[in-house]
Amino acid sequence: MNVLKVRWWTIGIFVLPCLLLYIMMVFVPIVVSGYNSLMLWDGIGPNKTFIGLENYRNILFNDPYFWPAVKRTLMYAVFSMLEIPVTLLFAILINRYVRRGNTLVSIYFMPVILSVVIIGQLWKTIYNPLDMGGMINGILNSIGMEEHMTAWLSSPKFAMYSLYIVSLWQYFGYHLLIQYTGVQNIPTDIYEAAKIDGADGFKADRYITLPLIVPVFKISIVLAFIGSLQAFDLIMVMTGGGPAHATDVISTLMYNSTFQEYKYGYGSALAMTLVIICLVFTVLINSVFKRVENKVS
Amino acid sequence: MESIKKGVVYLLLAVLVVTQLYPLLWLILYSFKTNEEILSGSFFALPQNPRFANYTEAYEAGNYLQYLFNSVFVTVITMVVVIILASMTAYAISRFRWKLAPVALLVFLLGLMIPMQATLLPLMTMFSKIDILNTRWSLILPYIAFQTPVAIFIMSGFMKGIPHEIEESAFMDGASVYRIFRSIIMPISVPPIMTVCILTFINIWNEYILAATFISSERFKTLPFGVNSFVSQYAVNYGNIGAFLVMGAIPVILIYFILSERITKGMVAGAVKG
Repeated sequence: MNVLKVRWWTIGIFVLPCLLLYIMMVFVPIVVSGYNSLMLWDGIGPNKTFIGLENYRNILFNDPYFWPAVKRTLMYAVFSMLEIPVTLLFAILINRYVRRGNTLVSIYFMPVILSVVIIGQLWKTIYNPLDMGGMINGILNSIGMEEHMTAWLSSPKFAMYSLYIVSLWQYFGYHLLIQYTGVQNIPTDIYEAAKIDGADGFKADRYITLPLIVPVFKISIVLAFIGSLQAFDLIMVMTGGGPAHATDVISTLMYNSTFQEYKYGYGSALAMTLVIICLVFTVLINSVFKRVENKVS
Repeated sequence: MESIKKGVVYLLLAVLVVTQLYPLLWLILYSFKTNEEILSGSFFALPQNPRFANYTEAYEAGNYLQYLFNSVFVTVITMVVVIILASMTAYAISRFRWKLAPVALLVFLLGLMIPMQATLLPLMTMFSKIDILNTRWSLILPYIAFQTPVAIFIMSGFMKGIPHEIEESAFMDGASVYRIFRSIIMPISVPPIMTVCILTFINIWNEYILAATFISSERFKTLPFGVNSFVSQYAVNYGNIGAFLVMGAIPVILIYFILSERITKGMVAGAVKG
């Protein structure tokens, strides 16, 4: 399929500029991180001591914040994935009942294009206590549920859930758009044929839409999953991992131990752990879906 | 029966419009209120007299235009370079005959799985060594690198489908590979280039963490970082904060109003191929 046989240096001219920049900015940092993760180092002084896998051992066994952060990261992933079936349902409904569905979907999509800073700061004001003009507490107050008012983001109990909600809110439109495009791409004559055979409405969805939507469904699941493993900037904007580590995920833990506590070696080990988790889970989730696809088709 | 069903569906969809848009509308109302109105806690009230002073004050207190300029500068340079570099690489991967082409593609694809935040610390030490920390380059270089994998993936997928006859006949006429690339392949590849433009724009325009980590001087702050520092600086001046947030959101909202169909299509294409 590749027709042009060109000299090797022509290939070099086309590929090398991009490849070199890419390696310098992505791969070299990861390798350097891997090297630093074996060191005890504050990032400033010349004292770098080789301590082998000690940093990793400390992460896994001695860090009281690591496993809770892993749990939150996974919860993040679970909540984001639970959202996908809901968006699929809405996509099916819009496709069936709304004539200019595209416009509606592009309205739902609005929050997706905004910067995490705008989203984060907007929701911070929404979650504010009543005396700072917060919206949620304002609603609770006016419907007579004053006893449920809280400072959502500074309560260790609710802060993390408040963050999940913002993420679900922001990405709802994104996954809805993906699912909607998928539903639209199913040829209508299949449904017409099914109708003649007596299957329409939700019965048709069960036997036609669902099997045919699996690949698109998978895309959303993978995106939601990887997105939540890497979830970071929203948390940094809204809580920075606090109060008292209540909203720490792996990335914020890494960022804070590196840039706040100057434990560079330790931070690098956390960064490597994150990279490994991302790689392992991406491979895992792809192989799970391969099995599902084989079963369905 | 059918009409009841329809009614329920429309109600659901309407509720969803409210939940997705009301927070944004609330922010706009908020940005026109006085501090007293905001603190009174009536969450649905319209502002008594829209207070435009929030905007003029926010504009004077913050360096809005500077941030806007920096964001435009960084985003445009990144977009242009990503398109040039990624289309060259995609062309070589999809159309040249060389053994390592699949390996090269795989190397780039691996980058899709690497979280950007894992590179923050080593990039920072590297940039301070070559003395570009706290310049626009410390943003542009990693931005380009992190956008190329998706770009290459999208463009090489498209270029594989271009019929070979076009190239062959140009080759017979004595055109060089460079000439073919520039005058034939690039013009044909406008649709995937548009997709890449949109993805790069949305990602880079909104990027916050890299900017907040590598930039410290006011002169180089991009819009998201600038907005965030404004908010933390004027913590109790609620009306001004609301106004600055709206101002921060306006450029991308305007572009979305003009190009919404292209943007949604581009984002789907990016998602499906990424």
